[in-house]
Amino acid sequence: MVNVRLDNVVKVFDKVIAADHITLTIKHGEFFTFLGPSGCGKTTTLRIIAGLEYPDEGRIYFDEEDVTEYPPYMRDTGMVFQNYALWPHMTVFDNIAYGLKIRRLPMNEIKERVYRVLDLVKLRGLENRYPTQLSGGQQQRVALARALIVKPKVLLLDEPLSNLDAKLRIEMREEIKRLQRELGITTIYVTHDQEEAMVISDRVAIMRQGRIMQIGHPREVYKRPANLFVASFMGRCTILKGIVRRSGEITELSVDGVKILGVPSATDMNIREGSLAVAILRPEEFELVKPHTPSNEFEGVVEWSAFTGPYTQLRVKVSDKIKILLDIDPDSQIKVGSTIKCYIPYSDTIILPFEEGREITYMEES
Amino acid sequence: MNIQNILRKLRRELDWLTIVQLAISLSIIFIFLILPVFLLVVNSFYSGGTITFKWFERVLTSREYVSLEPLGGALFKIERTGAGVLLFIMEGYDYGIILNSILVALFVTIFASIIGLISALIIARYEFPGKNIFRILILVPLLATPFVNAFVVGKVLGRQGVLNFILRDILGLPYTFIVGGLVGIVIIQTLSFFPIIYLNMLSSLINIDPSMEEQAENLGARGFTLFRTITFPLSLPGLAAGATIVFIFSLEDLGAPIALKGAFADDLAGRVISYRIYQNIISTQGGILKIDPTTYALSVIMLLFAAIGFIAIKKYVSLKTYAMLSKGGRWSPRVRKLSWKGLILVYMFLVPVVIIASFPQAGVVLLAVTDWATSGAFPSTTTMKNLMALVEEPDIVRAIGNSLTYSAAAVFVIVLVGTSTAYVVARKRLPGIDILDIIVTIPIAVPGIIVAVGYFILFSQGIFSGTPFDIFENPGLLLIFSYTVRRLPFTARAVFAGLQQTHVSLEEASLSLGASRVQTFARIVIPLIAANIIGGGILSFVYCMSEVSTSITLASFRPEQGPITHYMSSIIGGGKVGVISYAASLGVLLMTAQIISMAVSNWILKQRVAFLGV
Ligand SMILES: Nc1ncnc2c1ncn2[C@@H]1O[C@H](COP(=O)(O)OP(=O)(O)OP(=O)(O)O)[C@@H](O)[C@H]1O
Ligand SMILES: [Mg+2]
Repeated sequence: MVNVRLDNVVKVFDKVIAADHITLTIKHGEFFTFLGPSGCGKTTTLRIIAGLEYPDEGRIYFDEEDVTEYPPYMRDTGMVFQNYALWPHMTVFDNIAYGLKIRRLPMNEIKERVYRVLDLVKLRGLENRYPTQLSGGQQQRVALARALIVKPKVLLLDEPLSNLDAKLRIEMREEIKRLQRELGITTIYVTHDQEEAMVISDRVAIMRQGRIMQIGHPREVYKRPANLFVASFMGRCTILKGIVRRSGEITELSVDGVKILGVPSATDMNIREGSLAVAILRPEEFELVKPHTPSNEFEGVVEWSAFTGPYTQLRVKVSDKIKILLDIDPDSQIKVGSTIKCYIPYSDTIILPFEEGREITYMEES
Repeated sequence: MNIQNILRKLRRELDWLTIVQLAISLSIIFIFLILPVFLLVVNSFYSGGTITFKWFERVLTSREYVSLEPLGGALFKIERTGAGVLLFIMEGYDYGIILNSILVALFVTIFASIIGLISALIIARYEFPGKNIFRILILVPLLATPFVNAFVVGKVLGRQGVLNFILRDILGLPYTFIVGGLVGIVIIQTLSFFPIIYLNMLSSLINIDPSMEEQAENLGARGFTLFRTITFPLSLPGLAAGATIVFIFSLEDLGAPIALKGAFADDLAGRVISYRIYQNIISTQGGILKIDPTTYALSVIMLLFAAIGFIAIKKYVSLKTYAMLSKGGRWSPRVRKLSWKGLILVYMFLVPVVIIASFPQAGVVLLAVTDWATSGAFPSTTTMKNLMALVEEPDIVRAIGNSLTYSAAAVFVIVLVGTSTAYVVARKRLPGIDILDIIVTIPIAVPGIIVAVGYFILFSQGIFSGTPFDIFENPGLLLIFSYTVRRLPFTARAVFAGLQQTHVSLEEASLSLGASRVQTFARIVIPLIAANIIGGGILSFVYCMSEVSTSITLASFRPEQGPITHYMSSIIGGGKVGVISYAASLGVLLMTAQIISMAVSNWILKQRVAFLGV
C-alpha cells in the first residue's frame, strides 16, 4: 500500500495532449477513479502510473520514491486490462500463478495462494480451464485474481466492467469494491460511466482533454461541480443561462425574464452582479408540491413525457427559451399538454459562472 | 522534444533484450548481405587503386554484351539438311548478354502475366466441374526441381527429343523442330513462374470487395467493361507485385541456362548475365586464376535492374503483405456458373495450361523411376535404381547430408534473426525501425548470384582468408549464412503476421506482474507465436534445400561440401547423361519435401500461404 503522487505529468501523442499537467495525490488504501468521456486520457494516465507509457514531462512518486523512470516490472502494480489480456496458452491456474512463478516462490506456496485467491474471486473449480472456456464475468475475475495475487502496491483497473452486460456489471462492481475494502489496497480505477464511478469510489477525478477538471468525493462532485462540463457530465440536467441580478450566498439570476435563485457551487467563483451565469437544475430535485424549504417555482405546459420504469421524465415549457427536464413519480397521470407547477429548492439549484463557447440555454444530458 | 528526452526514450526502448536482438540480427544481415553487396558495387568502380568507369564502359560498349544488331541466332528459321529434312529452328536472336537477359526477362514476365492472369480470373470467378483439381495442378510448377525440369523440356523439345521422334520415326515426316537457346529459356521460365502471377492475382481478386463490382454492374457496367474499369484496376497491385518478382527471378535464374548449355551443348542458352557471372566465378578455379573484373560491372547492372523493379513495386504495393502470406477473402466471392460454351472455352485454356505446365515435374518423376534418361525418346523399363541411389550412392548421400546440415543450421539462425527483427519492428518505437523492416524484406529482390559474387569478394581475401570463413576452404559455412539472409523473409513475415494478431496488452500484463522483458519474451511472446515461428521456419527450410545460385557457385570451390543443388548442377551442367536420373531422384526428393512442408505449414499457420522462391 502506497500513496501515489503525480506531479505535473504531461503526455503528448503527435499533437493530441493525452495528459495535460496532471498533478494529484492518491492516498493509502483509497479507491480513486478517473472519470471522463472517451479519448480524454484516462487510460494514458493509468498506463503512465503502470510504467507502460512514459510521461514527456513531470514525475510519478510511489510514497516518496520517484518511479518515473522505472520499467513496469519494477513498479509492483497489478493491472487489469480492459480486454483482460488473459494468456490464451495458459490455464486459469497458470495465468493466476504467473506473477508468483516470476518471483520464484516455492510451488506449494504458489498453490496455496492461488487457491486462496480463487476462493476470493469465487472461481474455485475452474482452475484447469483455458480462458476461452470462460464467460466474460469469469474472465474478468481471473484478470482480477491475477493482479491481486502478487499483492501489488497499487491495483490499476482500466474499465474492467465495460465488456460485461448491465446486470453482471453491477454485481462485479460490488465485488471489486468488497475485495478492495477487504484488502485495503490502493486502487486506481478508470471508467467513463459516471454512475459506476460514484457508486464505487472514495474520490473521483473528472478529466477532459487530458486535464483534470475536478477532484473530490462523488457527492461533492455531483452536488458542487466545479464547472459546467463537470455538472453536465455527472448527470442529466437542465442548464439555464441568465444575468446575475444579485450575488451572494443566495444568488439571483434572471433568465428570459424569469427569476431563479440558487447557490454558487463554490464561494470563490467569479459571479458578480451583471455578469453571465448558469443555473443547473437536476431533474430528480424537482417536486410537484410546494416544499417547506424556500424554492423556485415554475409553471408550464408538459411538452413531452417518457416512462422509464423507476420514474417518468417530463419536459416542461416554461417560456420560449426555458424548457425544464424533470423526473416524477411514474404512477402520476400527468398528460402531455396539461399545465403543471413544479418546485426546486434554492439549495439544490447550482449556480456556475458562464463559460464562453457554451451557448446553451437548455440542455439535457445523461 | 529535447536531446535529454530522446536519450531517455532510447534508454527505455533499448532494454537488454532489444539490444541483443538488434545486435545479432544487424550484424548477421550486415556481414552476410549488406557488406558483400556494398563491396561488389565498390569493386565495380575500382581498378588498381583508382575510381574508374572502365569496367562499365567495357561491358556497355562491347558487342559481346550489348549489340543492337543480332550477333546470330534467329527467332524462327528453316533450313534444309543434306538428307532433305526440313529443320525448323527456334532459338531467338543474340543481342549480346545484357540485352538477352533483359529481353528474356521481359518476355517471361509478359507471357507469365497473360497465363497467370487468365487462370486467376477463371478460378476466382467461375464454378465448374474439376475446378479443385485445376487449382492444385496449376501450382505444380512451383515445386522447385532445379535443372532437371529444364532438362525435361530439352528432352521433349530438343533435336533428339520426343517431339521429333514422333514426327520423324513414328509419323515419318521429314521435319525436325529445334527449340532451344533463349526461346528455350523463355519457355522453361514461363512455365515455372506463371503460378507466381496466378497466386498474386488470385488473392487480389478474392480480396476485392464484391460490392465494388456489384455497384458497377448496378450502374450498367458489364462483361469486359466491368473487368477493364473495376476488376482489373483493383487487382493491378497483385499483378504488379507478381510481375516484378517474376522479372527478378527470370533475371537471376541459373537453372535453365545451365541445363540447356550443359546437357544439350546449347551455346545461345548460356548467353545471359546470370550464366556469364557464374562462369566467371567458377573459372577462377578456387582463386588460382584472377577473376575477370567485368564480372562486377555485370553484377551491378543486374542488381540495378532488380533494384528498379523492387523500388517500383515498393512504391506501388508493400512487399510486406505480399512476401508470402495472403489471406483468403472474408466475403463470399462472386463466383458464377458457366454456360456450356463458356465451359468449353475454359477447358480449352486450362487443360493445356496445366498439362504443359506440369509436364516438367512429371518428367522429373519419370526420369527418376524409369530409364528414360538413356533410353531415347521414350522410357523402356521402370527401375528403382535411381531412387535407391539416394541412400546408396556415397556422393549423393553426402550431398543430402550437406543440404540438411546447412539448411537446419540456417533455419536455426533464421528463426533467431527473423523472430528478433519481426519483434523489434512490430513492438518497438525506435527511430528508423522502418529501415530494418525493409532490410529484412530486401533479400527477395537481391539475386542470389549477386550474393555469391559479394561473398567471393569479401571472403576470398583480406581478413577472412585463412579463417573458417575463407570461401575456398569452407564454402559450406558461408552457404549457411547465404541461406540465412536469402530465406529470412519467409520466417520474418510469418512471425510478424503472428505478432500483429497478438494484442500487446498480453505482454504488458506480464510486465506489470513483475516479469522482465526477457521473461515476458520467453514465457508469453514465444508460446503465443510458436505456430508462426514453426510454420515460417518450415517454409524457410524447404527453400534453403532448393536454393540454387549461391549453392552451386560457392560449392564449386569445394565440391565435397556441395549441397543437393550443387550435385544436380554438376551432373546436368556437366552433361553426364547417364546419371541424370540421379539428379531426377534428388528432384523427386525435393518435391516430396516441399509438398509435405507446405501442407504442414499451411496446417500450422491455418491460412493460405502463397509460396514463392527458387
Ligand atoms: N499510442 C498512441 N498514439 C497516438 N495517440 C494516442 C495513443 N494512445 C492514446 N492516444 C490518444 O490520446 C488520447 C487519450 O487516449 P486514452 O486512451 O488515454 O483515452 P481514454 O480516456 O482512455 O478513452 P476511452 O474511454 O475511449 O478508453 C486520445 O485522443 C487517443 O487518440
Ligand atoms: Mg481507455
